[in-house]
Amino acid sequence: MPRYTLNVNGQNYTINPSSGEMPLLWALRDLVGLTGTKYGCGIEVCGACTVLVNGQPEKSCNMSVSEAAGRKIMTVEGLAADPVGQKVQAAWIAHQVPQCGFCQSGMLMAATGAVKAGHHGAEIAHEIDNICVCGTYGRIKQACQGL
Amino acid sequence: MKDHVNTVPEGDLPAGSLGRRAFLQGATAGLILPFAFGLTNRAAQAAAATPTMIGAYIRIAPDNTVTVVIGSTEMGQGIMTGLAQLVAEELQLNWAQVRGEHAPASALWPNPYGNPIFGAQLTGGSTSMMGWYMPMRTAGAIVRDTLLAAAATKYGGVWSLGQGGTVTDGAVSHRFAELLDVAATITPPSTATIGTTTRFIGKTMKRLDVPAKVNGSAVFGMDVKVPGMLFGAVVHCPTLGGTVRTMPAKPANATLVNLTNAVGVVAADTWTAMNVARSIQSRIVWNLPADTSSTDSAQLDALGQSLLTSTTATPFIGEQAGNPDPNSATTHIDATYSLPFLIHAAMEVMNCTASVTADACEIWAPTQGQQFVAPTVQALTGLTPDKVTVHTTFLGGGFGRKIETDYIGQAVLMSQAVGRPVKLIWSREQDFTRDMYRPKALIRVQAGANAEKAMTHLVYRNVSASINLQRGYTDSQNPEDTGALAGAIGMAYNIPNRRIEFLALAPCDVPLGYWRSVGESYNTFAVESAIDELALAAGLDPLAFRKTTMGGPNADPRAIGVMNAVQTLSGWGSALPAGRARGVAFLKGFGSYIAVVAEVSKSRAGEIQVNRFYAAIDCGTVVNPGQVTYQMQGGLLHGLSAAMWHQQTFVHGKAQVSNFNRYPIIRMGQVPDIQVKLVASTAAPGGVGETGVPCVAPAIANAWARLTGVRLRSLPFYPGRTMGDA
Repeated sequence: MPRYTLNVNGQNYTINPSSGEMPLLWALRDLVGLTGTKYGCGIEVCGACTVLVNGQPEKSCNMSVSEAAGRKIMTVEGLAADPVGQKVQAAWIAHQVPQCGFCQSGMLMAATGAVKAGHHGAEIAHEIDNICVCGTYGRIKQACQGL
Repeated sequence: MKDHVNTVPEGDLPAGSLGRRAFLQGATAGLILPFAFGLTNRAAQAAAATPTMIGAYIRIAPDNTVTVVIGSTEMGQGIMTGLAQLVAEELQLNWAQVRGEHAPASALWPNPYGNPIFGAQLTGGSTSMMGWYMPMRTAGAIVRDTLLAAAATKYGGVWSLGQGGTVTDGAVSHRFAELLDVAATITPPSTATIGTTTRFIGKTMKRLDVPAKVNGSAVFGMDVKVPGMLFGAVVHCPTLGGTVRTMPAKPANATLVNLTNAVGVVAADTWTAMNVARSIQSRIVWNLPADTSSTDSAQLDALGQSLLTSTTATPFIGEQAGNPDPNSATTHIDATYSLPFLIHAAMEVMNCTASVTADACEIWAPTQGQQFVAPTVQALTGLTPDKVTVHTTFLGGGFGRKIETDYIGQAVLMSQAVGRPVKLIWSREQDFTRDMYRPKALIRVQAGANAEKAMTHLVYRNVSASINLQRGYTDSQNPEDTGALAGAIGMAYNIPNRRIEFLALAPCDVPLGYWRSVGESYNTFAVESAIDELALAAGLDPLAFRKTTMGGPNADPRAIGVMNAVQTLSGWGSALPAGRARGVAFLKGFGSYIAVVAEVSKSRAGEIQVNRFYAAIDCGTVVNPGQVTYQMQGGLLHGLSAAMWHQQTFVHGKAQVSNFNRYPIIRMGQVPDIQVKLVASTAAPGGVGETGVPCVAPAIANAWARLTGVRLRSLPFYPGRTMGDA
């Protein structure tokens, strides 16, 4: 089995996926053991699996382990150690955004990526095209306003 | 657990069956159930160093945190927080010391964690706050009295409740944690009087589960980790009704398990399992049904159309009064409405982790239906319910789908086959093509109004696929019990002459289930569209006509109250910018009253653009106004996506929609402005989880009719849309 090193939230994880084609999503969840990143559709439509790769939001369901190796990956578990991530988390709590919460990891990562890209306020929400079946969009917009 | 007794009459609801609607209505008169409490493992917990359960619902830890153990499932609606507020009120806690936890599935009957309205441990029908409001407050009051008695025993004198989890005699305070040793020796009273404070009830307390849901630590079903577990996927027969004839040879990297209507795949990781499931799909030999007419949308449509006008079929009469004679009317309508099968489409796909050994079974599942898990395991393994442990995780949405146990049974069989714990996760494609769908419905409405602007009669025929009939429930002779007519009977409208009929769309072998707002989801579209059509045909204001029809000696002031509230909130009747129109819809349902106004315009592409929603709800006593508001916002948006785009169709038994790309969910940039008004009420709590959904489609259709003169009677408004062009 191939061997890869993933740098996730500043920590190196050596994994042995059955193939380098394994999506980063499943490598994170099943091999690294970080389950905050969610499977929603597997076809890059829903955004639940969004992570940051070198600071950019990426849908981890369609990025292979071999592509992800050697890049800096940030997941929802890493937000608390990131200054921007902390602010986004605090805004999400202040506005009580989550309902079921399943899509929120992806929402938080998309918002964090947008802030890191230099967006502010309403622009951040504009950058997010993830879906939330609970319908938390209104509070996401409010949370982004202050960022 | 032992010694838990409540007074749900035995036999009213046999475990494993759910006579949902009738039981709800039968139970609404008495929501307050006296409880007798027993201490759990009293001797084992006598040491104050261990957390102590007092009764079934409240655990106090040595650090003075108080954990509220809930029988309901937290699936986004905020019930863990809401029920904890009730206990916090009775014990005068500080919010920071409050924790929430899902109860284990109980094998006892009566079930201490069963919703007191219907006895079973499940979350459905928007009943959690309805059912648990008084019992949880009472549980808190019982614990309060137990702790006060413990203080008196331990320290002498008379003690009262202090703040932040303390007792006080006016001079000295002690934390609850200091009383646990003595409390564990005291038999709690069988009941207690609830308090009168409102520190928590009626306040938007912050949700207990939010911090874990923003840092990735919240455990949803698919996040469960069990030592030694393998990972599973599943591939169902693509044709409904098909079964496995021959499985392919075992691949080197996976074990295949025959699940009768599917093949389970167990592998070292989820991706491998899903890949194998995909790759073997064409190599499984299935026994296919000879006839797929009962699983084909076009043929079911044709059958439904014939039943709508049939004079030979004998309908079930849900409600009848007077003589619905069309001759009494001067204005008539005769309209047919059509609604599709719907997918639950929770963000979290179906999944379950099971660990089965020769003498025990442990389940970790995102379940709304704990009551039914042990019977499912027993049927498959022979293990009796006392050998089955069920851990409820957070749910990434449920909407009724996760009441079912099909996915749990599969995980059990897969674990049994490989002798290891297995975490089964369905692919999204399996989730969409093997849902238990919201029934398809065709509804014909004949109604009239007289020269005095009064509604004269209503003849209503609902032809829809029947959940009860499909499941062979013993009460299938009462199809109303499926919710088939919910929303069309017991209405707030006072229509003197009416006949409300149901005819099952049968045979229908598309798997059916309870979809958020059940029967109300289709009947409200027909009722609220039809009354609007009648008003417009008679030249009357649709909102005023509704209020008139609700009026009279039997008028329900709460119904008229929400109509008045939405009238004010939406500025009904005031001028709108050119190219905009309003439509209204109303529902009395789930123990609540709601009126919704949609404000719409025509997009550049000539399509419906919903600009605003206004909703007024009276759901009785409100425990957490923020959560009620969020449920309304979420319900309206859920209803909006469904009304605009959602349907599942079947061609010769094969589901056609298999992922979100063809089942668009509204996104950030498309969300209309939403205003929600909670109408103050001191009535008992009503339901809010489903209440926001049903009025959306008719409010939009009614607004569109006023804007364009075009009446939309078929849902969704834009079938076949993809995520890209929605």
